[in-house]
Amino acid sequence: MSSSAGRRGSLSRRAFLGTAAVGAVAVGGAAAGGIAVATSGGGGAAPAAPGRGFRGEHQLGVLEQPAPHGLLAAFTCVDPDRETLARTFRELSDELEGLLSGRPAAALDPALPPADNGVLDEVTDPGLMATLSVGASLFDDRYGLAARKPRELVTMPFLANDRLDPRRSHGDLLLVLQGKEPDVCLHALRRVMRRTRANLVLHWLQDAFTRPDAKPRVGQTQSRNLLGFKDGTANPDAGDAELMRRLVWTAGGGEPAWTAGGTYQAVRVVRMLVERWDRAGLTEQEALIGRHKGSGAPLSGTAESEAPRYDDDPDGERTPLDAHIRLANPRDASTRGTELLRRGFSYSRGIDGAGLLDQGLAFISYQSRLAHFLAATDRLRGEPLEEYLLPEGGGFFFVLPGVTRDGDHLGRSLLTGMP
Amino acid sequence: MRRSLSVLALSAALAVLAGCSDDGGQVRSEGGGSGSGSTGSGSGLSASDLGTQSSNQDVTAATNQYRTYVQGEVTALRAAAKKFTDAVRAGNVAEAKKQYAPSRVSWERIEPIAGLVEEIDVAVDARVDDFAGVDDPKWTGWHKLEYLLWKKNTTAGGAALATKLDTDLATLDTRLKTVDITPKAVALGAGALIEEVSEGKITGEEDRYSRTDLWDFAANVEGSKAAYTVFKPILAAKNPTLTTALDSGFTAVEGSLKPYQVAGGGYQSYTALKPADKTRMQAQLAALSEELAKVPAALGVA
Ligand code: HEM
Repeated sequence: MSSSAGRRGSLSRRAFLGTAAVGAVAVGGAAAGGIAVATSGGGGAAPAAPGRGFRGEHQLGVLEQPAPHGLLAAFTCVDPDRETLARTFRELSDELEGLLSGRPAAALDPALPPADNGVLDEVTDPGLMATLSVGASLFDDRYGLAARKPRELVTMPFLANDRLDPRRSHGDLLLVLQGKEPDVCLHALRRVMRRTRANLVLHWLQDAFTRPDAKPRVGQTQSRNLLGFKDGTANPDAGDAELMRRLVWTAGGGEPAWTAGGTYQAVRVVRMLVERWDRAGLTEQEALIGRHKGSGAPLSGTAESEAPRYDDDPDGERTPLDAHIRLANPRDASTRGTELLRRGFSYSRGIDGAGLLDQGLAFISYQSRLAHFLAATDRLRGEPLEEYLLPEGGGFFFVLPGVTRDGDHLGRSLLTGMP
Repeated sequence: MRRSLSVLALSAALAVLAGCSDDGGQVRSEGGGSGSGSTGSGSGLSASDLGTQSSNQDVTAATNQYRTYVQGEVTALRAAAKKFTDAVRAGNVAEAKKQYAPSRVSWERIEPIAGLVEEIDVAVDARVDDFAGVDDPKWTGWHKLEYLLWKKNTTAGGAALATKLDTDLATLDTRLKTVDITPKAVALGAGALIEEVSEGKITGEEDRYSRTDLWDFAANVEGSKAAYTVFKPILAAKNPTLTTALDSGFTAVEGSLKPYQVAGGGYQSYTALKPADKTRMQAQLAALSEELAKVPAALGVA
């Protein structure tokens, strides 16, 4: 009933542009050439992505320093069969490649809806990253992919303390977009959705933000989550390729061959009861986390970069036995080599029915084996921090391997060469 | 409803403001219109502002064919509405409930065109969201009666509303005879009907008390297809890829609706709609909308 400003705008522009031409007028490559309206969304050049662009052994957005804005978009695939699904992945991959490599959008006859939404016209450095992953449901009986399912991929069960909302959980696909500004993610989302209208239906959407370090340093961070604590301090060194090969990238281990170069992605949309948290004493907060709030130093030390020590504190006198970081990683032989790469974002979704702020952490971790994540979750089960947390959404996904050569596309190794 | 009409009225008005006369569908190699400063407002338009007729004879003939379709639908609409309003006036709740959804079918088929007569659209098809509340006396039309019948299970207070509905539809009939139905309005209307389904019918907002949303859904699709069909031969000659896509788009949506048809005509309750079917329909409708968005340009009436 309410009139849509966006639609009005496009209609009005349509009207202004005068009478139609028939079909598309291709203006090869030169988006700004020929057509006067190119900068108002007519064909705007999709700006170049920084760094390496689309191609690489692994997808962008896992190891990289996070961008300030994120958008998690989970989709349901409605394709009737595997052949159509394979085409959808090809289209989706091509659209992402275009966006990430700065391919200019086609400049169409102005009587037609423009190929690009124009949101990023004249933006030269959007810092876009995109990470596409698949959920366990894609391997159900619809597409005959069961035999290709990554071994550990399951629908995320109710874990510790959960109140999962089905409208914000799981999905056949998850696309994590990142950019310097929120509109970078929205621009890409709209392009991707338009390209796949008949195939993908948005299931849930969560926008998110963080404050990435200007200069990433191992064992230190300036990023804080909405509890006010530094988040990411103890992350493994993403610049250490050998370490990442062991901790993050899946290979071998009885996994289907196509998974090589991918990674398990655990997403937990965790609401924080921030009003209540802000009423907790500082000492209490620090005991719940196991770190000093200001400096980020472990309770066992004085500097953020110091590794926490528990061996000389068996009774939890300095660091409580049930502190978040001590449970998550007791730093003994049992957990060595199972560290997670955490890449979470904060979010804010307005207020809930009780008038409380609806904010939290879109926790995302990447790991070569989902078992590493599940073991950490098991250790955290019942932690006293739970009193301030409510996991409401997310899911388990598997990030597709990257694309390295012509003729390849995201999901090709998963979907082709099958009977 | 009011939405689609304001969009159409606005675009028609802007076409006039921008001074774009039809050039018979010839290809233009450059965009015009840059530098036009006015954005215009959708208010205060009379029916005579609604764009221009085409100088392309085929397009004109097709538009006339569509006008005939609209007239047929308006006649059917008044007859079907009368069955509904008679039942309300007779105090027959069961019969009124039975006639409610059928009484709307022709309206939903021609909704964007009927909506060009703005005050009638508001009087007959507004939902409670446009008013202060269910008791707002300005709320009239089908949905107010729907509210009384299903929420209150009564026809009490309905007779006057029923008679007003008949009168308003008679006015619509008269007014539509003089409204200039332009090719552009028809082409945009085909798209607007599917947007209607995507935004209001698939969500179950339209007929929230009676749950007869799928009747309206189907009628919107039929109306959109009727508009497309008159132009199809012209489109097929100019852009066969587009007509192929549109044909399969309509077929897909119709195929999804089919299992919800009931014997003897009509559709199951919205509450019967399976979530997986709804998701698939969302994609089919969205894909169809993308293709319909290309129709005005392909006809040279954008
Ligand atoms: C809203 C939810 C959560 C909050 C607020 C939170 C907060 C924190 C904070 C403040 C730290 C210390 C700084 C750092 O090392 O990054 C930390 C560390 C950690 N968290 Fe969480 N976390 C949450 C959820 C989770 C979940 C769901 C897991 C995994 C199941 C997890 C696993 C870890 C791990 C493994 C560490 C590093 C421990 C270490 O190596 O010393 N966290 N978390």
